[in-house]
Amino acid sequence: MLFNSYPFIFGFLPIVLAGFYVIGAYKRDWAMLWLTVASLLFYAWWRPVNVLLIAPSILINYGLSRLLERNHQTRPTRAKAILIAGIIFNVCFLGYFKYLNFAETALNDAFGIGFILTQLILPLGISFITFQKIAFLVDVHAGRAGRFSLADYGLFVLFFPQLIAGPIVHYREMMPQFHAAPCRFDPENVAVGLSLFFFGLAKKLILADPLSRLVAPLYAQAAAGVPQSATEAWIAALGFTLQIYFDFSGYSDMALGLARFFGIKLPVNFNSPLQATSIIDFWSRWHVSLTRFLSAYLYNPLTLTLTRRRMAKGKPIFGGGGTSMAAFLNLLAMPTMLTMLVSGIWHGAGYTFVLWGLLHGLLLCINHFWRLIRMRIWSDTKTYKRRMAPVGFLLTFLSVVAAMVLFRAASVSAAVLLWKGLIGLYGVTLPQTIFSRLGAAAGWLATLGVQPVWTSGAVLLEAIARIGIALLIALLLPNTLQMLAAFEPAIGVKPAKTQPRLLRALAWTPSNTWAIGLACIAIAGLLSLGELSEFLYWQF
Amino acid sequence: MVNPIAFLRTWLVSVAALAILVAAVNLLVDPYDVFGTPRLAGISLLKPAAKNHTMLAKTYQEARAHPVTVLIGSSTTHIGIDAFGPQWPEPMLPVYNYGIPGAYTTSTSLHTVQEAVTAGGIKNAIVFLDFQNFFVPEVPGEIPPEDERRFRVMADGTPNPHRQTQIANDMFLSLATAGAFVDSVTTILGQGKRNTLNLAPDGSSTEADFIDAAQADGMHDIFVHKNDYEVERATRLKRVMTAWTGRLPDLDIIAALIAYAGAHDVKLTLVLAPHHADALEIYWRAGLWPRVEQLKTELATMAAASDVTLWDFMDYSSFTTEGVPAAGDRRRPTSWFWESTHYKKQLGEFMIEQMFGGKPPLFGTILTPDNVAARNAEVRAQRQSVVCDGTGERLLTAITHPIADGCTPIARTLAEHGPT
Repeated sequence: MLFNSYPFIFGFLPIVLAGFYVIGAYKRDWAMLWLTVASLLFYAWWRPVNVLLIAPSILINYGLSRLLERNHQTRPTRAKAILIAGIIFNVCFLGYFKYLNFAETALNDAFGIGFILTQLILPLGISFITFQKIAFLVDVHAGRAGRFSLADYGLFVLFFPQLIAGPIVHYREMMPQFHAAPCRFDPENVAVGLSLFFFGLAKKLILADPLSRLVAPLYAQAAAGVPQSATEAWIAALGFTLQIYFDFSGYSDMALGLARFFGIKLPVNFNSPLQATSIIDFWSRWHVSLTRFLSAYLYNPLTLTLTRRRMAKGKPIFGGGGTSMAAFLNLLAMPTMLTMLVSGIWHGAGYTFVLWGLLHGLLLCINHFWRLIRMRIWSDTKTYKRRMAPVGFLLTFLSVVAAMVLFRAASVSAAVLLWKGLIGLYGVTLPQTIFSRLGAAAGWLATLGVQPVWTSGAVLLEAIARIGIALLIALLLPNTLQMLAAFEPAIGVKPAKTQPRLLRALAWTPSNTWAIGLACIAIAGLLSLGELSEFLYWQF
Repeated sequence: MVNPIAFLRTWLVSVAALAILVAAVNLLVDPYDVFGTPRLAGISLLKPAAKNHTMLAKTYQEARAHPVTVLIGSSTTHIGIDAFGPQWPEPMLPVYNYGIPGAYTTSTSLHTVQEAVTAGGIKNAIVFLDFQNFFVPEVPGEIPPEDERRFRVMADGTPNPHRQTQIANDMFLSLATAGAFVDSVTTILGQGKRNTLNLAPDGSSTEADFIDAAQADGMHDIFVHKNDYEVERATRLKRVMTAWTGRLPDLDIIAALIAYAGAHDVKLTLVLAPHHADALEIYWRAGLWPRVEQLKTELATMAAASDVTLWDFMDYSSFTTEGVPAAGDRRRPTSWFWESTHYKKQLGEFMIEQMFGGKPPLFGTILTPDNVAARNAEVRAQRQSVVCDGTGERLLTAITHPIADGCTPIARTLAEHGPT
């Protein structure tokens, strides 16, 4: 069931909420059980067979967690073996469903064989659920999870607002909230939840989906090997970047809002990433919960292990400006590339995702390297930040946009075709209908090499308008977390001490003005529900 | 700061009020002519937004129009034939134009005739055929195309189980969607503008898009653009036809159409729609002309076996060989064609007067098995005269797609040679 569908908004959600509040007034545990059952129904709605796949996995993980809980203090070796077994089980579970077909393709490509496997059905949200289960096992092993029951664990994994596309949550940040949730109608929670939900719905339906319809034909043409001019390639690259931006931002807002209806705050997952001034900054704003997971459970342990090894061998380790190249490569570049490779593969089973991850890894390494040498060549940090922030923003923005082509393209060759278009190798074109209206400017453009072509002028103007508006919103306006900061829309979000005038003007309060404004946003979203469209991140 | 309860109350009331307002505006303006709300001057007299929802609009319009005569065809019929005009003889009135732009196929013709006949009252069906559709086989689908889900019957003649769901969906989408509301506003804003596109209650459309394009780009560019498309299309069709043996694709659908009309006491007229000589030349050069002649012959045989009249307007006449203004000329109009496949309403009127008004033929003829061979020879001779002997110097085809085929096309434009 999609968040942006009539059955969800007018059927599932009101029924589940009403049941939760009514049952919660009598008995909290029953209300939580109701929420778990409803989440299971939400999951089964899409494809009931998914439940048969995911339920045994949950039970096995629960069993392993109980074993870990019993052994992690008394029998550490045994506990470690259980942890490793649990991680292997989850990775194999994910690998089997998500990557077997890709592995088949890769093997066939590498060895020129015609090995054929049955096409497997990918259980919905398997990547998110798997990471969450692994994080739980690690937390139990480290003694960070506290006490838990099967009901607690089931709700933690299945809680429908974050079940399909995150954010990836930790047991220790969720379970205390479930235990303390009011389980009754709380006007402030509902007002904040409604606002987040409808902000998200509008982002998805009004900003993201129309861009999807504009860029889809361009990527389809690239997939068919048709070269794209710079005009089309930039529309494809910028359009998709903004599409996935508002798609994911919208989904994240809706997830926050839905959880808030139940009195639950989810962690921050999306924080105006296109405003980032470096690629490191970008990854601290884009899919924050994934970055947090990969840092905590892959990058940091790997770096720690490698650092210990180097120290044991007496080799220099990471030390700010005095870091050696070997230390940089060994302790930073290698873990970064590996982590981003995992991130790429996690996002999708295909060469394009592998390359997307590696490309971001490379960009992160360059960024880290620059940070190291920058101190030597430009020590005045204050001046550096003031002067170089715009340059950093531009470089980051262009890098992210160019890399996003890989994320959307059907194949690496299609992405390369679009990249060539981006740098103008296939010329610059304008629709004949626009060209013929430019008068003297048309001649000037022609001397610059701009070619008139028979494409739709209306479509180009629509693309420019939609991309322009979306860019302005993404780059200049405060995000929903900032606007609702006074009401802690996500875990740990508080109002900034100093707020720009625009943010002060747009700060959300439960006022009549905002109620009417939000009603307009809600109606615009609800009336755009006619065409169903999946969230991009649901496929992961 | 306001109490969250007050916030929720205000929000709920505002959402309800806005929803009612949107639905009321959509119902009043009725941008797609689905509800049949009376057209109001200054508000909803013209229906420009129906352009992108033609099938939706036409299905409901046709049911309200109770036509005696229905016009079936593609965008050329939709734009080129006026269903409301003095050229129509009284017994054939009212006429409804069921021409469908976009994804039009021959089986759509059959299905649309079935829909119109099932709705009741149809005595005449005039089906305009695009010859290109006969050069590629259709891929039959079990589920009717999205646009045909609202028809009363399925393509096989059985009742359509999707119809009620689709009608409910149509009503909802026309009443309670942002797209419909935007189209309502566009409709209101479009009323005062010069040259606003309109879908009339009889299904006919104004030629606003072509008028806009002609003013912006000039007729020359419109012809060139369309010719480019037809060359690409002819190349595709040639690939199919090279290996094709036996009866042409889609003729079985025409046989079913003839049988259906006969069984339901509907007088059927088939019309091979006129094309500008540019288009004819493109298909000639693609080597498809023998297939065109084969089509005419087979259709004539099928029509003669039933009480069906077959008109052929695919020839080289003073209408179809009219000159094209020079590149950059945005003022000089054409008389009969918007581009090489879409004829103007003026030409459509001549065709109707000729077919049903008893006027002497200015171009085209009724095809029968007895005259089809002579007709084919006649058109070949016309082409020889127009293209090879230099009397038709105004074809654009030779400019954009030169090819030597035994004669040397002389391609010049009106600017060089003056009007006809």
